[in-house]
Amino acid sequence: MYKGILFFLIACLGFTDAISDPGAGYNLSEEKGLYAKIADVPLNTGSGNIRLPELYQQTPVMLAFIFTRCTGICNPFLLHLKDNLESLGSKEKFKVLVVSFDPADSLSDLNKLAYRFGLQDNDQWIFATTPQISKLVNSAGFYPVWDSSRQQFDHDALLVGIDKEGLITKKLIGLRDVKSLNWMIRSIHDEFMLSYPLPRENMLFSCFSYDPVTGKKSPSFGLLFLVLPAILTIMLLVWFAYQSPKWRLKSAQEIPPAKN
Amino acid sequence: MASLSLKKVSSAWIITILTLFICAIVFGILMRLNQGNDIKLSPNGFYTLMTTHGLTMIGIWTVAGMVGIQYLLSRYTTVSAKLNVFALVLTIIGVIMLWISTFVGNFHTGWTFLYPFPFYIAWAKWATPLFLWSLAVLGIGWFVWSVGILVEILKKYSLKQAFAWQHLSKKDPEVTTPPFILIATVSLVGIILCLITAVILLILFFAEYYSNGSFKNDPLLMKNLTYFFGHTLANEALYLGVALLYELLPEVSGRPKFKMTWYIALAWNFTMIFVLTAFFHHMYMDFVQPLGFQMVGQLASYFASIPAAAVSALSVIFLVYGNKIKWSLTNILFFIGVIGWMIGGIGAVIDATISNNIVLHNTLWVPAHFHTYNAMGNVLFCLAFFWWVANEFAGSQETTKSHKITIGLMLIGGFGFVLMFYIAGAASVPRRFAFYPNELQIGMTTATWAAFFATLYLIAMLAIIWEIVRKCIRVFYSS
Repeated sequence: MYKGILFFLIACLGFTDAISDPGAGYNLSEEKGLYAKIADVPLNTGSGNIRLPELYQQTPVMLAFIFTRCTGICNPFLLHLKDNLESLGSKEKFKVLVVSFDPADSLSDLNKLAYRFGLQDNDQWIFATTPQISKLVNSAGFYPVWDSSRQQFDHDALLVGIDKEGLITKKLIGLRDVKSLNWMIRSIHDEFMLSYPLPRENMLFSCFSYDPVTGKKSPSFGLLFLVLPAILTIMLLVWFAYQSPKWRLKSAQEIPPAKN
Repeated sequence: MASLSLKKVSSAWIITILTLFICAIVFGILMRLNQGNDIKLSPNGFYTLMTTHGLTMIGIWTVAGMVGIQYLLSRYTTVSAKLNVFALVLTIIGVIMLWISTFVGNFHTGWTFLYPFPFYIAWAKWATPLFLWSLAVLGIGWFVWSVGILVEILKKYSLKQAFAWQHLSKKDPEVTTPPFILIATVSLVGIILCLITAVILLILFFAEYYSNGSFKNDPLLMKNLTYFFGHTLANEALYLGVALLYELLPEVSGRPKFKMTWYIALAWNFTMIFVLTAFFHHMYMDFVQPLGFQMVGQLASYFASIPAAAVSALSVIFLVYGNKIKWSLTNILFFIGVIGWMIGGIGAVIDATISNNIVLHNTLWVPAHFHTYNAMGNVLFCLAFFWWVANEFAGSQETTKSHKITIGLMLIGGFGFVLMFYIAGAASVPRRFAFYPNELQIGMTTATWAAFFATLYLIAMLAIIWEIVRKCIRVFYSS
């Protein structure tokens, strides 16, 4: 028996290990590294040199990673962020820290970028470089890849929300709407936020369908799975109800009289 | 009459269950010591213990009830020892796989393995599939076993008789259904239903795991399925223990057997229905669940617990009150078990009330109530059966031997242990924390005291278990 059990276990391990790749299907980048502390790095800004903790200890920070030579997402990303923040008109106090992750960028490059966006005199926005960019991007979970053929970085448009304790409370990847930005503002101020993942395209069985425009929920196909066990059990019992007379007849000789 | 083969396999079950029980208590004590800052476990080590402790306890006390049901069923109908052996073998294989996944693979999601935690690989890569497959092996074994026991009941009684429906329409029906048969049937149907739910849940887990991300699950659906399975199984396991009580308590107390009445039939049929929807109370914080479901959760929690508990408690009180009882360890364990069940049940109903749950949700109040009706309820019901059956194997029921010290230790240890959970829960100390920050000093203090009381409980259990196991081992040498 022991050999059989051992064989079964080894077979299970071998089988499952051979056909699975659990890491492949998961892209939960926005949820990775939440509540980790952002690295303590020095920042070179237009108004002088400071350390990052000095900044977030005063007000929470939204940290955006860009590089000035970017021909891709960086400019639309910053423009979108600026427009959304303006339309939001939030009264909450926070800073937007734009840091270049390209070691070739200088403070003057970033000042020019700020000027291009009309943000050079906006106190809420800080454009900075840091000599410890690797430490900063690693702590934020941001991993740009240099493409030498295009002379560009492959990277996400990542916005990192940092609260007054330096903890990463939220990440947003891509060009996001005002609503998402509002969540980030609330999260960096350590407000409790209700959240639930919405049904996605490859989610075949969800309990409810949700219309984000109207906010209405309607029952969906997945709810059947909650009823299915009861249906199958009832079917089993109905089948038993028809079969049990045969069993009783068959085993009538073996059964002791009932004790009441 | 139980055959020798049934006695042997029941003995093997009892020894297996009690060995795992002792290990799981030790895991629990280590966890509480860590929360009390008395020992230092790594967070991963703590959650590994928590996962193993939870799954082992819920599993062994479910099968303990089934062992008892099948053994006592041999008084009424023919039972298959082979079916029992099949379930035992798959259970041992399943437990070995499970413990390898947790202790070697370091899998540590907690016993509810709530989606998507199993896919956040923070342990050996192979541990997730091994864990899920271990549940599949256990589920298959128990499903076949439950269906088999139900078939054994239906050899003797029609489905209507098994549910005692004839007692609802007639005062003295032609065929009387013993309460034991009714409660066993109701519990087995519930167990079959929640094991089917577990199969669906596992299929969805496997589908996502092996599809490499092309198929995703809905967290809300997975959570509903998890608690449909988990909450229902925990409740049905308790009801199996209650079935043992209905069959044995009057007998060992020297009183007439419980008679089936319309209200017992009605209470248990209601319980069967309502317990299936009570799990919605686990979803109160899931704001995307429609309000109607939350209301069903609260109402079903009341309706599922009150009829069965009230009828059973009153039946036991009337059996004992004003009557000369032959007290033995068996009926003392049953009696204390009813008290534990009632206290835990009240704690559960308090927590299942939405306005209270806002305060008590995920605090130590939750382990407080379920440890009360398990450690001081269902465990004692099953232990009473184990004690009774071990003595039956030995050839005589002991009624004279004093167990005062053991019972005293068990009462102080057991109720002291759960009281620490209640105090901390009422003070809003969160559950599932590997260690508590200084702000939650009460969590640390109560954890240390809980470990002390749990050690007393463990000593009492060891004393009882030693005698049970000794007698069970003898069965293997009999012919």
